[in-house]
Amino acid sequence: MFVLALSDLHKRYEDVAALAGCTFQVGRGRMLGFLGPNGAGKTTAMRTIFGLVTPDSGRVTWDGDPITNEQKRRFGYMPEQRGLYPKMKAHDQLVYLGRLRGMEAKEAAASADMWLERFGLADRRLDRVEVLSHGNQQRVQLAAALVHDPELLVLDEPFSGLDPLATETMADILREQTASGKAVVFSSHQLDLVEDICEEVAIINAGQIVVEGDVQKLKDAAPIRHLELELDGDVGNLFETLGDVRQIHSENHSHTLIIDADTDIRGFLARAQEVGRVRHFTYTTPSLSDLFREAVR
Amino acid sequence: MSSLKTVWRVAAREIREHGRSRAFLITTALTFLLVAGLVVVPGLIGGGTSEYTVGGVGEGNEPIVASAELLGNAADEPDAEPSVAIELRPFDDRASAEAIMEEGELDAILIDGQEVIVESVGGFGDSAVLSLLQRGAASVELEAIVTESGQAAADVIEVMTSDPLETTTLSGPEAGDETRGAVAYAGLLLLYMAVLLYGNWMLSGVTEEKSNRVVEVLLSSVKPWQLLAGKISGIGLLGIGQFAGTILVAVVAVQVSNVVELPSLDVATVANLIVWFVLGFLLFAVMYGAAGSLVSRMEDAQNVAFPMSMIAVVGFFVSITALSDPDGPAAVIGTLIPLTAPFVVPVRAALGSIPTWQYVLAVLLTVGAIVGLVFVAGRIYAGGLLRFGTRVKLRDAWRSAGT
Repeated sequence: MFVLALSDLHKRYEDVAALAGCTFQVGRGRMLGFLGPNGAGKTTAMRTIFGLVTPDSGRVTWDGDPITNEQKRRFGYMPEQRGLYPKMKAHDQLVYLGRLRGMEAKEAAASADMWLERFGLADRRLDRVEVLSHGNQQRVQLAAALVHDPELLVLDEPFSGLDPLATETMADILREQTASGKAVVFSSHQLDLVEDICEEVAIINAGQIVVEGDVQKLKDAAPIRHLELELDGDVGNLFETLGDVRQIHSENHSHTLIIDADTDIRGFLARAQEVGRVRHFTYTTPSLSDLFREAVR
Repeated sequence: MSSLKTVWRVAAREIREHGRSRAFLITTALTFLLVAGLVVVPGLIGGGTSEYTVGGVGEGNEPIVASAELLGNAADEPDAEPSVAIELRPFDDRASAEAIMEEGELDAILIDGQEVIVESVGGFGDSAVLSLLQRGAASVELEAIVTESGQAAADVIEVMTSDPLETTTLSGPEAGDETRGAVAYAGLLLLYMAVLLYGNWMLSGVTEEKSNRVVEVLLSSVKPWQLLAGKISGIGLLGIGQFAGTILVAVVAVQVSNVVELPSLDVATVANLIVWFVLGFLLFAVMYGAAGSLVSRMEDAQNVAFPMSMIAVVGFFVSITALSDPDGPAAVIGTLIPLTAPFVVPVRAALGSIPTWQYVLAVLLTVGAIVGLVFVAGRIYAGGLLRFGTRVKLRDAWRSAGT
């Protein structure tokens, strides 16, 4: 079941409530996409896992117990603000971080080399971090979170700034870590990507989790549907017959709508065909983006 | 993993990375060269035998030169190299001697034991040899008078060159203890430089971790106090190494050049310096570390460090005062205030003018202050580290660590 649980976390900074009852869980071998608009409390919530932020109230537990220092060393963290020692060699840096988490020197060196190899940086292992490209620094940063083979990975925006190939590698590694029984939490604004690789998501807004669960189930259970329509002719008041239209986006003859799940869709299609020729018509469960927009509206 | 092990691993990184940085290697090499130079160069200039060549025309010059040489060497240790050697070169007439002097081969010319010629008056070497010859001539005349009254010439010379009055001082270092004062002063300079230098390493080390944001990764696995303690230990050990190396270089340079008498460094003096080096370093390192945690940019670091630098300067001047007046009120107050004690106490101790109870009290107070500061600074450090951007106010850092 769940190993990491954040329960009813509250945290205020002067006038701002960064967390206002934030609750979510992650299980072993599960990957949770942690979503939310900027300033919703994602980074604050992630920091509480490592004791970097002490919540005003609420609990963070691992296997039901408060997280000890010893346990923290078995977690891997990639902060939103990337940071490594610029003057330190990539290999030494990874060894040092491995050692800080309790690894022995040899073990840490072997693991550092393994990850550098894995990221195609084997020939750059003795380069100082500051001379590496942005993408390569990002790879070393991820290796720094992985070097001690952690039980839990917490990654703040791991995909930001990555090119498509690096994004693919990152996604593969997250899948692989999950498959080997690790718990993974990562935040992202790339919702299509999250939809692609995560089974579970939690959406935070104004310090509270507003949507949480299995992506497919959330979509099925959503009270909304995603409708795309391409129609020759003037729509006139066609959409008014749909009842409650949540969102509407029209461009020339293409229309994207978010509508209630219980709308009579056959009747609508028939009425649309009376208006003009229907070139394209899809009626699906909402995408993660739709759910997100709906949740944080 | 135990806290001690964590602290040590942080310290080991500091030692390894700092120790092989170009900046460290260069400053160490320069410091060693500078110290060796300071010891050797004055020896080369001021030490050894001053050799003069004096031209002699006519009779009666030998006794004056012999007497001048004797006077010049009167203060020498029995088996030491003589301070002065004067060679007398005879010439047939005044003109030929002056010609040689023009070529720069003669320092002075004596004519019949009655007249002396020098290039000019006021030159360093000229006036030295001139004054020696004048004194030599005077003592030759005196010798002649004294010989008539039957006294031995050697007695006269001895009386003339010794201090007839015994000197004692009311306060301060006892006469003949100049080496103690020199050791105290050298030790004070070293301590002052060490506190500022290694304090600044702490400051920039902490700010660097914050400015490049690596601190968030570090703090996800170690506690702020472990990071602070590790940095202090690492930089402290490296500093002690450099400090000890500098002293070693100075001692070796003194031995090799053999021009200055080595102050007798007994165990107590060395122990005194080391104790206060460690206490002073710890006290300031903790404060510099906390200050460094308040800023995110190197440019801001010097500003937050200003109060500490001022404290060090004040401590330095109080102990300069203590050098001349080791029992005065400034010295005693400076002893009992932990922030100035690391500068003042070692000076007073080296001069041998601090009561034991004050010494012990100063150590206790300073240790107490360090413990208190570790708590305060540790909390400021913990609170300041993850607040990026503008300079963090002390109060905010304190509060944010408390919640």
